[in-house]
Amino acid sequence: MKKISILSFLVAAVVLMASCDGVRRKPGRVYMPDMAYSRAYETYSVTEEVKAELLKKGIHFSNAPVAGTIKRGELFPFLLKKDADGDSTNYAASRLVKNPLTSMDTVEAARLYLVNCAICHGAKMDGNGPLYKGGDGPFPSKPAQLVGDARYEAMPEGQMFYSATYGKNKMGSYASQLNTEQRWMVIGYIKSRQGAGKTTAASANAPVPVKNADSTAAKK
Amino acid sequence: MIHHRPIVKTFIFSILLSSLVSMGNTGYAQDATKGKTLFQTNCASCHSPVKQVLGPALKGVTERVPDKKLLHDWIKNNSKVLQSGNPYFTALYAQFNKAAMNTFPNLSDADIDDILKYVETYQAPTATPGEGTPTQKEEGDNTLLYGILTLILAIIMMVLLQVNSSLKKLSDDKEGIPAHEPIPFYRNKVYITFVILILFILGGYWVVQGAIGLGRTKNYQPVQPIFYSHKVHAGINQISCLYCHTNAWESKHATVPSLNVCMNCHAAINDYTKGPKLYREDGSEVNGTDEIQKLYSYTGYDPKTQRYSNAASAKPVEWVKIHSLPDHVYFNHSQHIRAGKVQCQTCHGPIQEMDEVKQFADLSMGWCINCHRTTKVNFGDSTGNGNKFYSIYEKFHKDLKTGKMDSVTVENIGGTECQKCHY
Repeated sequence: MKKISILSFLVAAVVLMASCDGVRRKPGRVYMPDMAYSRAYETYSVTEEVKAELLKKGIHFSNAPVAGTIKRGELFPFLLKKDADGDSTNYAASRLVKNPLTSMDTVEAARLYLVNCAICHGAKMDGNGPLYKGGDGPFPSKPAQLVGDARYEAMPEGQMFYSATYGKNKMGSYASQLNTEQRWMVIGYIKSRQGAGKTTAASANAPVPVKNADSTAAKK
Repeated sequence: MIHHRPIVKTFIFSILLSSLVSMGNTGYAQDATKGKTLFQTNCASCHSPVKQVLGPALKGVTERVPDKKLLHDWIKNNSKVLQSGNPYFTALYAQFNKAAMNTFPNLSDADIDDILKYVETYQAPTATPGEGTPTQKEEGDNTLLYGILTLILAIIMMVLLQVNSSLKKLSDDKEGIPAHEPIPFYRNKVYITFVILILFILGGYWVVQGAIGLGRTKNYQPVQPIFYSHKVHAGINQISCLYCHTNAWESKHATVPSLNVCMNCHAAINDYTKGPKLYREDGSEVNGTDEIQKLYSYTGYDPKTQRYSNAASAKPVEWVKIHSLPDHVYFNHSQHIRAGKVQCQTCHGPIQEMDEVKQFADLSMGWCINCHRTTKVNFGDSTGNGNKFYSIYEKFHKDLKTGKMDSVTVENIGGTECQKCHY
């Protein structure tokens, strides 16, 4: 009888130990909670209540910069405000805004485009990114076809910048993901690709008629 | 001969009928594909057949506007129709915040008919239930099997030892050798020593492992306030990690995106119908559409009016932090992914396959050091790629060799930088 009870205890222990490989929903214990979970106030580590407490003590942190502040080396801000619903005054006015960048790092601009824009507008700028997939993706409306659609080929840089900054139609604002310079870089990159597409198309078509014209001219 | 006639007749008739049907089919297919192309180029940026996007969902439009000419006029030049004061379209215009529809003077009546045919016959693709089964682990029970086997073998060994000693006793009795007083196994000193030794080793192992594991959270997989699947976003839909975790490229923190980043897409994507079924770790099914609704409740967005009309009730999502480093460890994301060109997956595991994120590495110091020992630094090559941070050492090395410098001081390698001491 005694042996049986010892045996059953051992079997139970083995089963218990083997069943400990479930999903870990709790982080577990730590030696020193003060060290493991930072007491220092870092980005995102502070709740609104704590922030209010600190403000009472006169401690300001992780607040937005004072309005009108320009960081050293930063581009001059985009002065047009977002239009109200149903209004398009500033959108129309943004046509006149020029790209302030005279030169840019094309590799970085391409990277920014691929990370932030290609998901909808497509790596080839054909308006068919993985989120749309010709209507099979989850995104319900067709993103703008940046290369090959006359409407977007002709769109002024300033208007593109307005759309990237405040959002347009179903596109959201990218001002929180890309700073002013990065947005201009992306637009410069799009414009360069649009231009490139046009010139290759033109050069592909151009030589044949020119040659014909020459040969006919020579014959005559 | 006469009795053959009906067969021939039916045969010819059936051929005619089938060809007629197939012709009808091809004609219809052409219309629909043409309509689809026209719809994609002209309408799709503002309309979906079954979903309200910028304009209303178009399926059923021919029933809502039975007057075909009116509908054609509207599509070609909507402002004209609005000026004529049509009550249906005026109400629609007001409902969509007076956002004017583009005019399409170039579409012919036949084009519009093709588009309408495509829209009316559109069938939304349905979810494929075959894909995505619960990710339950079928293996992993081997430990139990080995444990039981070991136990059985140990019992057999004990029984055999007992049998052996009994037999020995019997043979001793037979040969007349006086037997000792039998000692029960629990008082046998050899057994006791053996058991104590095993317990000591097991206990020691358990204590050491427990002590090392304190504060380490490998495999930590908490329940998050919203069932956000990295598999759906980064895996199936191929969204770059940096789209949401923008700051990983720029700063120490990878940062959890603010909700406006979610709303960049989810202002339009308000249901989950096209991906595989989602399951929690316990096997229960997740309704993706409900999870998107949770996002709307956090942002105060009303998907019906497509406005942030409940902005007062908006609140941040309290995500549960998984990867936590103690206060005395400085870790910088941008240094690793931008300068070091380390992939996210190196430390975070196959994140694009995880529905619920799980800590992949144990984030122990040994784990960090191991990677730092084996990772080779990519110094700048001739094309200008690579890490030029250490190029100054290369210069010093050359200068020392050529005799331009006689020694390198601490200042040369950044020893008087304020931050070396004051940080």
